[in-house]
Amino acid sequence: MRAILAGIETEYGLLIAGKGAESQVEEAQALVREATNEGLGLWDDRHESPRNDLRGFKLDRLAYDPVDAAFERRVSAPAAQIREDRILRNGARFYNDHGHPEYSTPECFSLRELALHDQAGERIVLSAAREHQRRTGIGVTVYKNNTDFHGASYGTHENYLVPRGLALEALTENVTPMLVLRSLLCGAGKVGAEAGQACDFQLSQRADFLVEPINTETLFRRPIFNTRDEPHADPARWMRLHVISGDANMNPRCTVRKMALVKLSVSLAESGWSPPWRLRDPVSAFHQISRGSLDLAIEGGNAISVQRALEDYFAAAEERLELEPELSGAIRECRDLLTRLGDHERIAGYVDWAAKRMLVQMHLDEGGTWQDPMLRSIDLEYSNLDPESGLYYGLVAAGMIEPWSTDADVELRRRRAPEPTRAFVRGLAVERFSANLVNACWRSLTFRLSDRTIEVELQPDRLYPAHLSEIDDVEDFVRALQEQA
Amino acid sequence: MTEGDRRISPSPKEGERKLGEPGPKTPDIGRPSAENELLKRMRRIDPDQAKKYRQRSGQ
Repeated sequence: MRAILAGIETEYGLLIAGKGAESQVEEAQALVREATNEGLGLWDDRHESPRNDLRGFKLDRLAYDPVDAAFERRVSAPAAQIREDRILRNGARFYNDHGHPEYSTPECFSLRELALHDQAGERIVLSAAREHQRRTGIGVTVYKNNTDFHGASYGTHENYLVPRGLALEALTENVTPMLVLRSLLCGAGKVGAEAGQACDFQLSQRADFLVEPINTETLFRRPIFNTRDEPHADPARWMRLHVISGDANMNPRCTVRKMALVKLSVSLAESGWSPPWRLRDPVSAFHQISRGSLDLAIEGGNAISVQRALEDYFAAAEERLELEPELSGAIRECRDLLTRLGDHERIAGYVDWAAKRMLVQMHLDEGGTWQDPMLRSIDLEYSNLDPESGLYYGLVAAGMIEPWSTDADVELRRRRAPEPTRAFVRGLAVERFSANLVNACWRSLTFRLSDRTIEVELQPDRLYPAHLSEIDDVEDFVRALQEQA
Repeated sequence: MTEGDRRISPSPKEGERKLGEPGPKTPDIGRPSAENELLKRMRRIDPDQAKKYRQRSGQ
């Protein structure tokens, strides 16, 4: 099967002591600015096109949450200045996105690499937060979650490189049901509901905010399948599957699993397969799974169990695809988890919602009730990035969740991108040729040379040669990149 | 509980169908030995932390 390049963007929640959402844009801007030592402020946004739709049209404008539209009117500085875009030495992007510090990982083929970079991103954001706190003397807390429990949501997006030649219908037929189903195995868990049917606890943070099966929006009227057409590569050859319906995961095992499941569904679409059933109403199904329902209505008047629907994908993948070890391992792990769903404690080390549900139960066992505000605070603190106070890290410290990576693993990805993708090249340019680098984005680098300025296109499906890291002369570096084009 | 202050879309759907059992079941937790340290961490949490937590919508 084709190796699929992928990345994760996480918009972090930001709590500044004594301040609210009205000053969040300025605070996030200041926080990102603290990361001066991590990279360069040279992001190039010329190729960005968030209003283009994969269905072949362009929106005049994107929908805004009316509450946030009021915040927008307060901000008068140019958008580029507000974003404080930084390109980092590991090939990542760090910026202020609508008041949230956002870390976009370097692109990776390996999901293990990607999850390590996601963890490195946590450290970069936390370092910036601590520096902001030290400089201002005001408490700063950063959360890796997707809701404020008052109706505001912010995203953790996944990106997958897909050939432009793949029919959009084939992609949606395979990917949309998987985005619904995977909540059972990858959801971050949430106390209560913010829309729709009331509940005490649900599996997905994001489900309440998904109201349409497919559209281009991300800030309001959010869909399960997002059709933003912004390939960050040659648009004649590539499109980007931009997944906005997933949760922010603290447990990197969930990060690997949720992305493995999407890679499986993309590869199955490329193989010509599609599920032998269609969900009658994917949006309702997403809400139902999140609230613990394991049977979903399908077209034709019948229902299918979530386990059976997932097994259809797994069996088709094993039959039709030459699976990479990461993906065959993910299938094995999913099958195992599906047999143990009834015992939350046994899967708490592997699934975020189960770990969070276990913490909630500990509070209930101490005499708490489902009406306690404390339960939502426990939910929130699960995603606190501070290793000394966050509850996910508390579970790791208590030995109730096995560490997934070493400190050295994560620190290495903070400094560079070991996998030789185009992100590796981007990181080299930042680290070694900053004096000549004019700007950079996902798809290209622009250098100022002695006699000219030149933009070099990076190849998203390529593994670049390791010897690039040994080149000291910028002219030689640019020439070597051009030879790879 | 349903406590979102905002509308999630111009016309949010209400009353989705229920096909299975409502909500994940309460687990039968056998208390691990390291629980005390974790409980201490939980008891340090401000019970109103989530009430105070207000964010802008992102993407």
